[in-house]
Amino acid sequence: MTEGHAECFVAMGTRVELHAFGPCDPQALRLARHEVERVDDALTIHRPSPTVTLNEALSVASGAAVDDPILLAALIETRVLMRMTDGLFDATVRQGAPRGAWDLDIARGRVEAEGPLAFDFGGMGKGLALDAAAASLRAGGVQSGLLSAGESSILAIGQHPLGGPWPIGVPHPFAPGTFLAELDLVDEALSVSATVDAAAPCRQPTLRSDNGAPVTAPLTAVAVAAQGARAEGLSTALLAASPEERDRLAQRHSGRMLCFRYEGRDAITLAITGELACNV
Amino acid sequence: MSDNAFDLTRRLFLDRVVQAAALAGMAQLAPWAAASAADPIGRDRVRLGVIGTGDRGRALIQNILKTRNCAVAAICDDYAPHLDKARALLPAATPAFTDHRAMLDAGGIDAVVIATPLHVHAIQTFDALDAGLHVWCEKAMARTIADCTAMVTRSQAAGRILQIGHQRLFNPTYLNALARARAGEIGTITQVRASWHRNRDWRRAVPPGSDLERKLNWRLYRESSAGLMTELATHQIQVANWFFGALPTRVMGSGSICFWKDGREVYDHVALIFDYPGGRKLVYTSLLNNARYGCEEQIMGHKGSIEPELGRIYAETPPRVPGLQQMRRDVAKGRRRTIPIGGATWFPELPVTTPGESLGWGEYDESMLQFEAFAEAVKTGTPAPGLLREAYHASVASLLGESAMDAGQPISWPSGLAFEKLEA
Repeated sequence: MTEGHAECFVAMGTRVELHAFGPCDPQALRLARHEVERVDDALTIHRPSPTVTLNEALSVASGAAVDDPILLAALIETRVLMRMTDGLFDATVRQGAPRGAWDLDIARGRVEAEGPLAFDFGGMGKGLALDAAAASLRAGGVQSGLLSAGESSILAIGQHPLGGPWPIGVPHPFAPGTFLAELDLVDEALSVSATVDAAAPCRQPTLRSDNGAPVTAPLTAVAVAAQGARAEGLSTALLAASPEERDRLAQRHSGRMLCFRYEGRDAITLAITGELACNV
Repeated sequence: MSDNAFDLTRRLFLDRVVQAAALAGMAQLAPWAAASAADPIGRDRVRLGVIGTGDRGRALIQNILKTRNCAVAAICDDYAPHLDKARALLPAATPAFTDHRAMLDAGGIDAVVIATPLHVHAIQTFDALDAGLHVWCEKAMARTIADCTAMVTRSQAAGRILQIGHQRLFNPTYLNALARARAGEIGTITQVRASWHRNRDWRRAVPPGSDLERKLNWRLYRESSAGLMTELATHQIQVANWFFGALPTRVMGSGSICFWKDGREVYDHVALIFDYPGGRKLVYTSLLNNARYGCEEQIMGHKGSIEPELGRIYAETPPRVPGLQQMRRDVAKGRRRTIPIGGATWFPELPVTTPGESLGWGEYDESMLQFEAFAEAVKTGTPAPGLLREAYHASVASLLGESAMDAGQPISWPSGLAFEKLEA
């Protein structure tokens, strides 16, 4: 029988579960949890943190230094994702104005912004946390594992403990027991972004980066990437994109992406790239 | 809304009340709930005389008109413009009076509905009881604790129903929330943080050149009102008492006329702490110059929180992910199948700005249901169990809070109250 180990805790504003299979030093899971909590401590906007300090500085000045290495890594990844998605993904908040008007001087560790803005890494922060936990577990010798931050951020380490890829089914929000899509993961991350959720009707809206308008169409976006943060950024971008932008994104990105729009309780597939086993 | 739509909504509402009332423990916690949803006895409508036809009184009349078992048989107000507005809601032949005693003397009613300034609730209740009538009275009960107590004792001595308007006692969301709290879903409740914040002066227009300021703006003057405490806090103190399953042991607080310095006498800004047995606390604030946080009771236990106005319940620890539990069991059994995971995640740290599930007409339904329950109590001569006790203690607590703020020091829960033996 394959031995299973788990570490479950609350971080990043949700329930984080780290599952490892096969030989595993219990210390490895504790270290992985510590990595998640470090990312949470750096990126949270709900209590004092380096991100809150940065946001406070940017609320009154056009530039601010970034000393925290995790926050700096998050900012670097944000810039990468902004380029990849033509700005559809943006981790900044700016009421009623385009959000992309900021730059990062990596060498100097400094953010420059046109006007006041604030960072909220949201789902990308969870992806970064899972990436950090996975790196820690791999360093600890774990070869098979499945990590989750809530149900929207999943990361697979290696193969399923019984062999083969990890078979993941994204549940249909309005048809219990059925899947929007089934995807196989091996050393990959999966992110789900949605404007609809039968269990949580009061979710915070996803905002478009160009005008700050909330995405109101009933959509679910799914993205698979090698890293958790990358998957998070792509699924968010897919959700915020117009149909034309969604097509461009799908053509440019080599990973797997899916988007569903709902008509009533029926899901309509909007964009598919790569090889997917799809059950709509 | 059409009559058919109204009937449909009422049935849905009553179904929810019945469902809530059927939950474990509710027979003890809210014994009036199931009774209030039952079909009326007989076809006779209880004839009500409404005393006070201002804004609130007319809203009550509209609720009464939608009930299955009540009728407005007379109205009374000593302010002609209010009486005229009420007349417009009723058949032309409905008797109208300018003195409540004249209405009592005229007969033709089974009970009175009192929606007048707070300081006259007690005397009007006494007069109605002396006339052999039952009484439904708006909260808070009276301007003094002594009068609150006298209303209870005199109604009991007269063998007449006295019911006080606390619509949350009939609200299915509150009933459900209470049942879930008592079932342990949010753990041990140690604090209720309640607020009722508005951003308006609370004034009513007074005809130029008249001497009606204190009459129309009675809520602003100490002779006739304890302000925020009796008009707003009393609702939420009742909720706290209900969820704690206890009465306060003492109250401390601070009140001020902080923003509306317009000659009013009652506080426009209050902050109080009500202590409950075991170190539990109700932390209460109410003010009249900021509405951002509105009206809510945040009921906090060690496993979760309930916000009944929003209609939401929050777990301290997010629940296990079922798909991952299934995956672990499968792996242990040597079974590999699709792992159902990947739904959107709820972010419990973020503020909720969207109201909870709609209950149709909200207060409208609840107020209507109160009258239906009152009418059944009048018909049977048996008060809805527990209702008056809840209202009485809420009124006492609100007045005690006013005293604590005035004195600038904590005040203990008094002895010699009605229902004391029952509570002991």
